[in-house]
Amino acid sequence: MRPFFILLRKELRSFFLSPLAYVIIALFTFLNGWLFSSIVTAMRLRVNQHSLVYNLFDSGWFWMGYFFLFPLLTMRLFAEEKKMGTLETLFTAPVRSVQVVMAKYFATAILYIVIMLPIFVFFFLFQDITGEQAAFQDGSFYGAATILLLVGLFNIAIGCFASSLTSNQLIAAMITFVGVVLHYFLGFIHFFGAKLPTELLDKVTYFSTVEHRRLFSEGLIDSRPIVYYISSAIVMLFLTHQVLERRRWKT
Amino acid sequence: MISVRNLTKRYAGHTAVNDISFEVDRGEIVGFLGPNGAGKSTPMRILPCFLSATKGTASVGGFDVFKDSIEVRKRIGYMPENVPLYDDMRVKEYLQFRAQLKGLRGRSAKRATGEAMDICSLQEVRRKMIGTLSKGYRQRVGLADALVNKPDLLILDEPTNGLDPNQIRQVRELIKRLGERHTILISTHILSEVEMTATRVIIIDQGKIKASDTPQNLIQRLQSSGTVHLEVKGQKDNIIASLEGLSEVKSVTTKNSQQDWLAIDIQPHSNVDIREQLFALAREQNWPLRELYRDTASLEDAFVNITGTKP
Repeated sequence: MRPFFILLRKELRSFFLSPLAYVIIALFTFLNGWLFSSIVTAMRLRVNQHSLVYNLFDSGWFWMGYFFLFPLLTMRLFAEEKKMGTLETLFTAPVRSVQVVMAKYFATAILYIVIMLPIFVFFFLFQDITGEQAAFQDGSFYGAATILLLVGLFNIAIGCFASSLTSNQLIAAMITFVGVVLHYFLGFIHFFGAKLPTELLDKVTYFSTVEHRRLFSEGLIDSRPIVYYISSAIVMLFLTHQVLERRRWKT
Repeated sequence: MISVRNLTKRYAGHTAVNDISFEVDRGEIVGFLGPNGAGKSTPMRILPCFLSATKGTASVGGFDVFKDSIEVRKRIGYMPENVPLYDDMRVKEYLQFRAQLKGLRGRSAKRATGEAMDICSLQEVRRKMIGTLSKGYRQRVGLADALVNKPDLLILDEPTNGLDPNQIRQVRELIKRLGERHTILISTHILSEVEMTATRVIIIDQGKIKASDTPQNLIQRLQSSGTVHLEVKGQKDNIIASLEGLSEVKSVTTKNSQQDWLAIDIQPHSNVDIREQLFALAREQNWPLRELYRDTASLEDAFVNITGTKP
């Protein structure tokens, strides 16, 4: 366990001592802040039946920015170490690959949470200033936070895996972006005119982030998506581990 | 300390090392010598468990590099070729991180970092970012990293690669000093390095071990030609006639002369040392003499002889 914490600290340190983290935090806070105020304005002009929390996370603009977050966060994780050759010094120290993968993964997850926090601060500020509820029930508030966390954890795992495949950060970023976007649009597949049998369509909605998000931001915490995202993340991290161990098994 | 048995490593399409076996005992400094691309780096990457072997086994301190990889890695300080380091860390911070990663805790990690920086003369740059260091300092940071947890075995892959002569000398001195405490396996294609530091040399070429012996023995194996070089002042014909008059002399060749000085190569009949006779002759004939030496084989000759290529 000890190497995990040493590596975690090192990863966090290199995130928060580099300008990249602050640029990302500032950029996303600004974009989300802008979106937030636009949505508040829109809701004032045209009344709709949903809460502010629901409307914000239902906005396509939010997800557009969100997709770009993961390539930025994860592209350097392993690709940079491969390129610099530091993977060699790392793996010749007495640490297990699983500790390395987990340390990098959790460091990124912590950074992700820090980036997402301001949105929730916006909601509190809104409630404080207007005296109105941002969400109709507390459940919908926590539901939104939970689904964002779950989707984020899964997407970071996709990024980890992509970064372990190559020593080129740009390629890692592209793979992550494609992976994240493809997974998201799986939920929209019937909008694209795909004539799927209803049985299959039902199955697809199991993987649909859009569907999960709707449920969760209405305050319905369903255990199936929780299991789905966490186990998918574990699969991706397992694959990452296998990619890194490959050089030791390959004969 | 190290035991390598029938080790083979194939990469797609080519064999880097082919069925090599060797042992290294505790306290030895072994130089891995070979032309570029001979397969020196491959065993050096297999021993610290970074790569797997296609066939054969390797163990360090009795632990198999594949089955007990963590145990092996605890006992090894490895410095890869080109010394990869985290450029965004400060020297002291990096070494402390590495010390902790290698299992040292709190105060003992701090102490070990300090000692490693002392040994490698890094104290003056300890607060600098690694990315801003010169190549010589980077190399020393890599070395300090390798020895920070006082491992039994140091594996150094081309430690003086790309350094200037002064830095090479410093690193070499350092390796020599480290040899008093650690077993060292060092790979290089620079012969003087091995000649000065190693107690044993393993010459590897085209993935095979071609020789394994002390530098002295390798040199002695070579039959030296025994040619003697002489520079004297005097009458050319007279000198040549006198030299050819000696019974041990087989042939005399004159080379370029500067002013009155005559440079001569003298080939004796067998591999005998005729320097004493030559000196006596010069004294007898009253030739002023300014140079007299005999060819000796070098490790370079041994290397060329064994591998058939220049290092």
